[in-house]
Amino acid sequence: MITYYLRLALKSFRRSPGLAVLMVCAIGLGIAACVMTLTIYHVKSGNPIWWKNDKLYAVTMDSWDPNKAYDSRHPSMPPPQVTYKDAMYLAASKIPEHSAVMFRALGVLSGGTAQRRPEPIITRVTTAGFFPMFDVPFLYGGGWKSDADSAPGPVIVITREENDKLFAGANSVGRTIRWNDRDFRIVGVLDYWRPMPKFFDLNNGAFTEPEDAYIPFGWGPALQLVSAGNNMNWKPEELKTHKDFLNSETIWLQMWVQLPNSAAVQRMQSFLDSYWAEQHKAGRFPRPRNNRLTDVSGWLAANDAVSSDDEMLVGLAFAFLAVCLINTVGLLLAKFLNGAAITGMRRALGASQREIFTQHLVEVGVLAVAGALLGLVLSAFGLWALRVMFDDSDAIFGASGLPQLVRVDVSSIVATVALAVIAALAAGLYPAWRVGRLPPAIYLKSQ
Amino acid sequence: MSLDIRPIFSALLRNRTGAVLVALQVAIALAVLTNAVYIVDQRVTMIDRPTGIDDANMFVIDSTGFGGRFDYNASLRNDLDYLRGLSGVVDASPINHAPLSGGGSSTSIQLQPNIRNSSDTHPLNYFEMDEHELNTMGLRLIAGRNFRAEEILQPFSPAHPDAFVPQIILTKKAAESVFPKQNALGKTVYDGEGHSATIIGIVEDMLGTWPNTPQAPQSVAFFPRLPLMYGFYYLVRTRPGQRDAVMRTVEAHMATSNPDRVIRSVKPLSSIKRIVYLGDRNMAIFLATVTVLLVAITSLGIFGLATFNVSTRTKQIGTRRAVGARRGDIIRYFMVENGLITTTGVILGCALALGVGYWLSLQYALPRLDLYYLVGGILGLWTLGQIAVWQPARRASRVSPSVATRTV
Repeated sequence: MITYYLRLALKSFRRSPGLAVLMVCAIGLGIAACVMTLTIYHVKSGNPIWWKNDKLYAVTMDSWDPNKAYDSRHPSMPPPQVTYKDAMYLAASKIPEHSAVMFRALGVLSGGTAQRRPEPIITRVTTAGFFPMFDVPFLYGGGWKSDADSAPGPVIVITREENDKLFAGANSVGRTIRWNDRDFRIVGVLDYWRPMPKFFDLNNGAFTEPEDAYIPFGWGPALQLVSAGNNMNWKPEELKTHKDFLNSETIWLQMWVQLPNSAAVQRMQSFLDSYWAEQHKAGRFPRPRNNRLTDVSGWLAANDAVSSDDEMLVGLAFAFLAVCLINTVGLLLAKFLNGAAITGMRRALGASQREIFTQHLVEVGVLAVAGALLGLVLSAFGLWALRVMFDDSDAIFGASGLPQLVRVDVSSIVATVALAVIAALAAGLYPAWRVGRLPPAIYLKSQ
Repeated sequence: MSLDIRPIFSALLRNRTGAVLVALQVAIALAVLTNAVYIVDQRVTMIDRPTGIDDANMFVIDSTGFGGRFDYNASLRNDLDYLRGLSGVVDASPINHAPLSGGGSSTSIQLQPNIRNSSDTHPLNYFEMDEHELNTMGLRLIAGRNFRAEEILQPFSPAHPDAFVPQIILTKKAAESVFPKQNALGKTVYDGEGHSATIIGIVEDMLGTWPNTPQAPQSVAFFPRLPLMYGFYYLVRTRPGQRDAVMRTVEAHMATSNPDRVIRSVKPLSSIKRIVYLGDRNMAIFLATVTVLLVAITSLGIFGLATFNVSTRTKQIGTRRAVGARRGDIIRYFMVENGLITTTGVILGCALALGVGYWLSLQYALPRLDLYYLVGGILGLWTLGQIAVWQPARRASRVSPSVATRTV
């Protein structure tokens, strides 16, 4: 029966090929637009460490200006970064299983076996907790021990890409390289790692590539390193020395903790609050108490990892799909009703309403499959176009890894096909039902 | 000549589904079209806005000194002598952040030394440069004077604690925002700690380091101070047409000229500008593409549906022709029918467009939809509908009256 219906469907398309093409194009285009915008949205809204979402918390305290909130668009949010003195006090707490205090700094890497020119890199200056906390994958070796943090040890972790450049991919653990003009011993080489969005430092480029090397946090004060990221201070302060800077109200450090359960979260929260109360009494923290432990997904949402443009585009794509489908419903309806004479004949010859319905639904199914295929091809082309459009490798400071992530993957193929079939069947249901219910007699009489 | 709306309307009511579907499409198309065109228009206007500087002929060198042997002042002197001596170079200056790059420095100034009230402070986006700053940018001095070489301070660092500078140059816009309706030249302003600065010059407007971030200060100032030694930039302006050649020469020379520093990048300002507007440009392209496709699909849908209606109504049309309707009457019938459907859609669409526009303005703090766009969208969709239905209507008018006497 199905083959017969398929033959009928093909016959029907041959009768009005322009219309069939129009409907397939409408379905395909609508699907492609949705897949493209959803892919971008998916990449940007993804939680790159979802398996630890209930364990990792960004630590923020509202140390900002008494007269105005840090971000006027989100006035209830504390600043996204913390001051040095607060970070140092909080990091000493034993409540979290791990904690990380960190910033981005410039650096120059040289040495290795490949005899290259000194290479400018971006470095993350961080505490040891960073690696176990964020499940950072290692190719060779591992992170450093926390005793290398405060009286900083000359140890360094480099990425796989840097290891390829400096040591042609060989196991370099134990070798010495130069970071700026100091010798550092390599303790670990990362494996390929691209958390997108870069949740732990959204403030300094949510989609930039991770840093090229990692050194213990103590090198920050020891070498008077300045942050190559965002530094903000609301308070007029005379900062004569680097020490003044460290003691100032400048927020420039990202801080994260790993808390195993809700009891630990509560203990950490009350630890923050009691620290706040003590400091508030001493004249700091002029704003109302607002200390937060924010999990990863909450953090991504609060920091607008998904831009308003991305959300608008998803809305636009679905409006477009809606128009495409309404269009298809209208055309199918007209087409099916136009063939009413033939349908009337088939009904008169004994086809049941149900059979007529199935026959037309098969016709719709063929359109849906063709539309899905077209949609898939268009999506692939569209995503290629997006990669070209998003290519910011020219960026002066940290190109994003977005172009690599915007690609056709299994989930988008499945989504495309499912969306096409559901959409087209939804579009075809009503026309097929309508035509099945036509009284055959009048259509047999004349036109 | 009457349009005979009543019979057309009752005919439509008897066969609603197709008409309702078309009206719905028109409504959604109008809502998307007006809002999308409005957003695209804003983005394109922003991207095409003049920068105020000679951006086509400028490039940026990103240089990082490292190690204890790196001598900032000597390196700076050598590099600047080299750059300014090159044929094809108009001028060069060290700078803290590249203009239009999306990363920069800002501070606040106030009119009183000791008042801490955020409403009296004026945010400024500032550039730290030497006395070649105006010539390098290609900015014209409107009033006052430029910095003198001896006024240029050492970088802000522990050894040089001046957080503020004694003289500043403001753009016209910055001067007007700090001193509305007054001449700012020669006036004194203060930083948060109460240090004072005299406004010694006012220059033409330029876009600062954040051309497309609404929260960032748009008023620009120049500070007579060298940028911090880690990760600073040289801004170079060349004679027209010589930028790329000069860039190649400079890149080759500077890569090896000093072993204690590395050159991160040498980039034309035009590519920095492209990157900063990349998101806006992509948004505009995407919106425009989808909107064009949406309008095209809608028009084709109207066309397809009309074509079908003509073929189902052949006999009816023949009958009308046989009882005296002229070709024009038949064409008019289809045009008026489409006009009625589109009008219904447009009325629905107006509500939808305004609703979406209002929601967007609430949700994303966008300016409210301008009504001109709505009027344009209505006229556009109406015209498109009439064009789409024209060909099928003409075909209908060619139906011979004799058809009515036959059975098909």
